[in-house]
Amino acid sequence: MIKFIPLINILILILFSFIILITKKEKNVKLMSFASNIITFLLSILLLTRVLLEDFIVLNLGKNNSLLGIQFYIGSSEAVISLTFTFVMLMILWFSNSSVKKEVSEIRISFFYILINILLASLLGVIYSNDLFNSYVFIEVSTLSACGLIILKDKKENIKATVKYLIMSTIGSGLVLMAIAYIYSITGHLNITNINEVIVSSYQSHQNAVLIILGLFTVGLGIKSAVFPLHSWLPDAHSSAPTPASAALSALVIKVYVFMLIKILFRMFTYEIVNSFIIMDIILLLGSMGMIFGSIMAIFQKELKRMIAYSSVAQMGYIVFGIGLGTISGTAIATYHIIGHAVTKSSLFLISGLMIEKTSSKKIEDLKGIGREMPITLGLFTLGAFSMVGIPILPGFISKWYLSLACIEVGRVPLILIILASSLLNVLYYFPIIINGFFGNENLDGKIYKSKKIELSRLIPIFFLVLSIILVGAFSSKLINLF
Amino acid sequence: MEIFTENYFETGAIILFGIGFVTLMLHSNLIKKIIGMNIMDTAIFLFFISKGYVTNKEAPIVVDITKNPDSYINPVPSALMLTGIVVAVTTTAFALALTIKLYKHYNTIDLEKILEMREES
Repeated sequence: MIKFIPLINILILILFSFIILITKKEKNVKLMSFASNIITFLLSILLLTRVLLEDFIVLNLGKNNSLLGIQFYIGSSEAVISLTFTFVMLMILWFSNSSVKKEVSEIRISFFYILINILLASLLGVIYSNDLFNSYVFIEVSTLSACGLIILKDKKENIKATVKYLIMSTIGSGLVLMAIAYIYSITGHLNITNINEVIVSSYQSHQNAVLIILGLFTVGLGIKSAVFPLHSWLPDAHSSAPTPASAALSALVIKVYVFMLIKILFRMFTYEIVNSFIIMDIILLLGSMGMIFGSIMAIFQKELKRMIAYSSVAQMGYIVFGIGLGTISGTAIATYHIIGHAVTKSSLFLISGLMIEKTSSKKIEDLKGIGREMPITLGLFTLGAFSMVGIPILPGFISKWYLSLACIEVGRVPLILIILASSLLNVLYYFPIIINGFFGNENLDGKIYKSKKIELSRLIPIFFLVLSIILVGAFSSKLINLF
Repeated sequence: MEIFTENYFETGAIILFGIGFVTLMLHSNLIKKIIGMNIMDTAIFLFFISKGYVTNKEAPIVVDITKNPDSYINPVPSALMLTGIVVAVTTTAFALALTIKLYKHYNTIDLEKILEMREES
């Protein structure tokens, strides 16, 4: 029975989204969405406990062999990531309960919950699936539902951002499908495990084809996960979406594609094959560039949400950097950073949504002195920002620390300078908000202590997210050993 | 040269893919971009289906169950591409709907002009 949890997770979410479609009352819509997400969250916990006992679970759907049927493979990293994602999505839903109607018009609220459900289902599908074509279908579903979430707020810039996102990601999925076609033509399989068996024995006779496949996958999934030079759609899309949606997009959606890239590079091909091609150096270069330029561009942003969106580009750089090292420890850090960043970025986006709502201004300069007005909110923001910058114990520091260790392991010590530079740049754009927020004096006239305080009930989901940031940091060594 | 004429399916598919890709990337008109997207997808379908094709074999539609399974082509790519076509149609429909909305708000479907508009405002 536990074996079927991955399937049940996806089916419950999709089933409930159809029920929401025919539900009229807003209260029932929220209840259904929340219920389905709680079920998936609890089932993911169960799945993780089972995976910890058995190392991995393989679920064959359709035919009972991997040649024809679709296969789900859940190792420990998949189980942990799916638990994190369901948790973050649950908190986002909780938060959206009180805030979604402020940004989305009345008639569209049920669409928000439908799309969130379908989005989470497709994301879990990409994570669990061990079948390339099945992953492709889930990727397309997730892209379309993410586009839907952005366009929910019916404004001019939302439509533009969605068009940009849709066009970029169709290029990406076209390249991914082409790569799948190539791989099918040289191996005759779509199952990652089977492809691995064939390709290990015969990759030497298909050197060029393997290079093309690696390139297509890297660029295709790179566009979708906003790896540095291909990120142009991200700031518009993530900053214009409704706050809960941008939290989901930035924390979860872009991570899934990069996780699929990890699966393809290291499980389908192996470390040995991948490292014999130039592609890993290119990935490493893209990652380093993302870390530096993403941060630099974030410094120049004037809007809070745009700045956090650019920070996502920089953080994706860390993940890609970890992949580009091409070692087991590098991949483990990349996976860890996926989790750490998912909890951190979602809380930052939710908090920034609250601050924008209360000050009714998107600009960073209007946030001066906000610590006086909403001290708890900015305090939580500070913790999230500390994690991004890399203050010890918090996940951001741990990823940076282990990334540096992984660099030393492969003998590429100069790369540590890039990590350091990126951390310092992070300080440059996160700390001014905090310092001006708490101590900015020039803007304090007429501001009353706790005058814009948020009701505690709205802060609870953010409390949980911040708590999970600390937990992810505190149990880092256990987590990293799992991957 | 021979390698191109022998594998004319793949050659055609890659040429079509290139045409679609360039149209999608370089044209600023949204409708043309969507057309390019469709050409690109169709090229992949052609490429994929040609992988399952075996000369002188039938389409995998079983009418006569006593027939030898070897007389059919590989059905897997065709089945996959059926799904692929559904995905492409959905994306196209969504993109076209977006284009209508974009036109209502901006009065143009030229993406470059729309991107310039933001800098002015």
